[in-house]
Amino acid sequence: MIISLNWLADYVQIQAPTETLVERLLMAGLNHESTETVGADTAVDLEVTSNRPDCLGHIGVAREAALLFSRPLHVPDPRPLEGAGRVADSVAIEIRAPDMCPFYSARVIRGVRIGPSPQWLVDRLATVGVESVNNVVDVTNYVMLECGQPLHAFDLAKLRGGRIVVRRASEGEPFTAINHKTYALTGQMCVIADAERPVALAGVMGGADTEISVATVDVLLESAQFAPLAVRAAARGLVLQSASSYRFERTPDPAAVEWASRRAAALILETAGGTLAQGVAAAGTLAATEATIWLRPGRVAEVLGIDVPAARQHAILTGLGFVDTARGDQALEPGRWRAPTWRRDVFREIDLVEEIARIEGYDRVPEDRSITARPVELSAREVTVRIASGTLVEAGFCEAMTRSVVSESLEGTASPWGAAPPLVVQPALVRGADRLRRTLLPSLVEARAGNLAVGAPHGELFEVARAYVARSAGGADHASPVEEPLLVAFVTGGGFFAAKGVVEALLERLGVARAGGRIECRPADLELFARGRAAELVLTRGTAAPERIAVVGELSAAVLEAAGTAGPAAGGEVRLDRLEFAVGVDRTLRRPSDYPAVERDVNLVVAETVPWGEIATAIHAAAGPMLEHCRVVQVWHDAERLGAGKKSVVVALRLRSDSGTLSGDDANRIVQAVIENCRQAVGATLRA
Amino acid sequence: MATVALDSFVAELDRLQADAVAALAVAADADAVERARVEFLGAKSGRLKAIQKLLGGLAGPDKPAGGRHFNEAKQAVAAALEAAQGRVAGAAATAEALDVTLPGEPVRLGHLHPITQTIRRVQEIMGRLGFESVDGPEVEDQWHNFDALAIGAEHPARDPLDNFYLAVAQGADPLLLRSQTSTVQIRVMERRKPPLRIVSLGRVYRPDTADATHYPMFHQVEGLFVEPGTTMAHLKSVLRLFASSFLGGDVHVRFRPSFFPFTEPSVEVDMEWGGRWIEMGGAGMVDPAVLAAVGYDPDEVSGFAFGLGVERIAARRYGVADIRDFYRNDVRFLEQF
Repeated sequence: MIISLNWLADYVQIQAPTETLVERLLMAGLNHESTETVGADTAVDLEVTSNRPDCLGHIGVAREAALLFSRPLHVPDPRPLEGAGRVADSVAIEIRAPDMCPFYSARVIRGVRIGPSPQWLVDRLATVGVESVNNVVDVTNYVMLECGQPLHAFDLAKLRGGRIVVRRASEGEPFTAINHKTYALTGQMCVIADAERPVALAGVMGGADTEISVATVDVLLESAQFAPLAVRAAARGLVLQSASSYRFERTPDPAAVEWASRRAAALILETAGGTLAQGVAAAGTLAATEATIWLRPGRVAEVLGIDVPAARQHAILTGLGFVDTARGDQALEPGRWRAPTWRRDVFREIDLVEEIARIEGYDRVPEDRSITARPVELSAREVTVRIASGTLVEAGFCEAMTRSVVSESLEGTASPWGAAPPLVVQPALVRGADRLRRTLLPSLVEARAGNLAVGAPHGELFEVARAYVARSAGGADHASPVEEPLLVAFVTGGGFFAAKGVVEALLERLGVARAGGRIECRPADLELFARGRAAELVLTRGTAAPERIAVVGELSAAVLEAAGTAGPAAGGEVRLDRLEFAVGVDRTLRRPSDYPAVERDVNLVVAETVPWGEIATAIHAAAGPMLEHCRVVQVWHDAERLGAGKKSVVVALRLRSDSGTLSGDDANRIVQAVIENCRQAVGATLRA
Repeated sequence: MATVALDSFVAELDRLQADAVAALAVAADADAVERARVEFLGAKSGRLKAIQKLLGGLAGPDKPAGGRHFNEAKQAVAAALEAAQGRVAGAAATAEALDVTLPGEPVRLGHLHPITQTIRRVQEIMGRLGFESVDGPEVEDQWHNFDALAIGAEHPARDPLDNFYLAVAQGADPLLLRSQTSTVQIRVMERRKPPLRIVSLGRVYRPDTADATHYPMFHQVEGLFVEPGTTMAHLKSVLRLFASSFLGGDVHVRFRPSFFPFTEPSVEVDMEWGGRWIEMGGAGMVDPAVLAAVGYDPDEVSGFAFGLGVERIAARRYGVADIRDFYRNDVRFLEQF
C-alpha cells in the first residue's frame, strides 16, 4: 500500500519527520518498504499484513498514525446533494448468488461531463502510482485508496434492460474486460450482468462494453460486498489480479460500502458535474459482525510479561475505534469492548491484547527473563542420523541435498522399499518434477554426473533424506497412507566391494551387531543395480521377521544413463529408521588379550558355486572363540590344476586365547576342526 | 748400505703429499676416494709405505727430521682422505634427502552440507536451553498442516496453487507436502502434555519459483515452548539467548508486529547483526485456538513459538548470494564447509 503523505495530511497532522513516522508505523505493524519523492509529495510504501484490510486505505493508516502520535483524526462525512429523479426509476438490482455477493448497492449520477481530473486528483493518484484516466474513474480509484472499499462506475446507457443481476458465471461464459481481453469464466466466479450479458467480473474488473468513456452522460456507481473466495477464484483463475480483487480477498470494512458510495458521488458531482438521483438501489443484506469482547484485567500482563496501566489500555483501544460498552473500572473488572466494523480480525480477548501490545510497543517487553534448566537428550533417530552422516564424512563423502520430488526419468526404476508406483504432486516442484521419489540413489547419481561434468575434484556423495512409498491397502487405520523410510544413500566411483565396505562400516559404527541385530547379505535382483552385482542386507532381530534394511550394488546402465553420468558407479541405500534400536545399547569393554596370536593359512578348494558366506559360517562354527579374525587372502580359479568348476580360497586365520599362549598343537587342532567342518558343510578339500 | 739424502727424501714426501691431496680433491665418488686411499695409504703397496721404507736409509742424524716430515705428510694425506670421504658421503646423503616441500599424500575429506551444519548449530544452542529436537512426516494431512494451526477452510494459504497436493483417490482426505514444520509441533502436543520445549526441523515445500532467494524446497527450524505462565518476555529472552549464542556477543532482538494464523500476538524477529537489524524469522504466543485444538486449556498453559528459515541464516552466515547453490551439490561448493 503506497501512501501519499500530502493525502494523509487530510486526515491527520503529523509534525514529526517522515523517518519518525515510518519508524513508528513499522514498529506498530506496517512494515516499511520504501520512501520516494514524487513531485511535491512523498510516497511511502507500506507492507500490510493480510489481516489488516483497513490499512489498504489512507484513512486506516491515518488512524494508526493519529493514535501513535496522539493527534486528532479527521474523517470526512460526505453528504452529496441529491437532485431530480430516483435511482429506482433507472435500475433494478437482483442478487442471484448471495453466497458470492451478500450486498450490492448503486447510485446514479446523470448528466456528467467526462474529462480530465483536476490537478490535485491527478497528483495524488500519481504519487501512489495510479495513472489518471478520467474524472469519474479517477474518483472511484481515489475513494478506494482512501477507505479500502473498491468501487466501479458503469456507463448507465450501455447497461441493457435497466437491470443489474449479480449471479454465478456459467461454465465457459465469455467476458471481455476493460483490458480488452476476453476470458472464459467458470461457475466459481461471480459476474455483474445486465439484462443480457456480464458487464463486470465481480470485484475484479469491469467490462469493456460498459466502461466510462468520453461519450458517457449517465453513471451507475457500484458499491458492493463480494465474497473473498469468489473474487480469489476469478483473480487467480484468470491471472487477473487488481487493486480491487486484492482488497475484496481481504474483506473491506462493511460500513465503508455506503460511505464510499456517498463519498464518490460527492466527488463526481464536484469534478464531473451532473445530478445525483435520489436514494440508493440496493439488494441483499450487508454482512457485518460487531464482536463483543471481554478483556480481563491482568490478561495483558499475563501474555506480554509487562504491565500496561488500565487507563493506557483503554486509551489505545478507544483510539483504534473500539467502544467500551461496560464503562466499569477496568483495573478491577473485565472490560466489554465492541470492535469497530473495519476490524473483523479482532474478535477475541487475545486479539485485544495484541492491539494493546503493538501500540504500546514490543520494545517495552524485557529480554532478560530466565527459564528453568531442563536436561535434553538427542532422540535415537537424531543419534542414528548423526552416526550415519558422520561415518560417510569419515569415509570421504560430501553431503548432498537433492530434491524430494523428481522427474519421471529419475523415478523409472522400481524402488527397493515398496512396490507401489510413485506418488504424484500438483504442481510440479520444478518443471517436469512431480513424482515423490521412492529411492535417493538416482538423484545422487545425477548429482555425481553433474560433478564429473564440471570437473569437480570427485563425485563421492551421500544424502540423508526420506523416500515416500504409498502403503498398500489394509494397513492400520490410523497409519498415514504414505510411508517415509528415512534413508542414507551414497554413490561412489568404486565398485561393488567399495560400496559394500561403506555399508559395513556404517553398520559397525551404528553397533547393529552389538545390539543383537544379525545381518545377512544376499544376492539381490533390483532394477537399480546391474544384474549379478548387487546385494540386499537383511536384518534379523529377536523373533521379528527378517527385513531388508540396505541395498548395495553397481548401478544399472539404465540408472546411469538416465542421470547422464560418465563412467560406472556403485552405491548403497540404508534404512536408518529401522536401525535406531542399535544406538541405545551401551558399549561394554572386551579387554584385548595379552597373549600372542597364532596365524595359520588354509587353502580350501570348493565348487565355484559355494559363496564365501557359507565357507565363513563353517569356519566360525568349527573354530569357536579362539578365532580372533578370519580373512580371505585370495580366491583363484585354475581349471587345469584345481579341476573344472572349482576354485581355491586361501583363508588366513588368526587364533588367540584370552587365558594363555596357544601352543602349535592347540592351533593345529582348531585348524583341523575347521578343515573338517568345511569338508562336511561345503565339500571343501585341502590343497597342500 | 745405500744411503738416502734427506733432501731427496723430503722432496719425495712433498710430491706424494701434493699428488694425494690433488687426487682426493677430484675424487668424485666413494670408489675414486677408495682408489686414491689404496694408492697413497695402502698398507701393502701404498706410496707412503714405499717412502717409509726409505726412512731407514737416512743418515743417522737426519733420521729425526725425516721422521717428522714423514709424520706431517702422513697426517696431511689422512686429513685429505677424511675430507674427501666426508664430501662424497655428504653427496650421497644429499641425493637421498626428501623434497619436503612436495605435498603430502591427499586424504579425501568428507564434508557435511552447510544446511546440516547450520541446523546442528541451532539444535545445539536450543538444546542448551532445554529444547529437544523432534521429527515428523513430510507428507501431511489437512488437520496438521492447516486446521490445527487455525488456518481455516477459506484461508488463502490452503489454495491448491500455493501447496503441493498429492494426487490421491477421490474422497480421501487430501494430503500435501507440509508447508511448515509446525505440523510436527501439533503432533507432539497431541501426544504429550506440557511442559514442552521442542524444536521441529526439516524440509518444507512451497510452490515458489526458484530464484536467488526462493526455492520450492527449503528447511525450517521451529521452536515451541509451552509451560504455565509463559509470556512474551520469555520469548524475547530465549530468542536473545539464541541470537547471542548463534551470532556471538551480546545481541539484542527486536519484535515488529506481524500476522500468522497460529500465533497471537505475532511478531517478526529482527536481530542486530553488523550494526543493522536483520530479519531472522517469525514468532509469537501460541494462539489459544491452537492450544485448544490439541486439547490444552489456554487458561492453564501458555506458550510461544518461533520459526527460522535455515537457508536464509546459512546464506548470510556463509556469504552465499544465491540459495540455489545449496542444492547444486557441486563438490567444489560443498568442500568449502
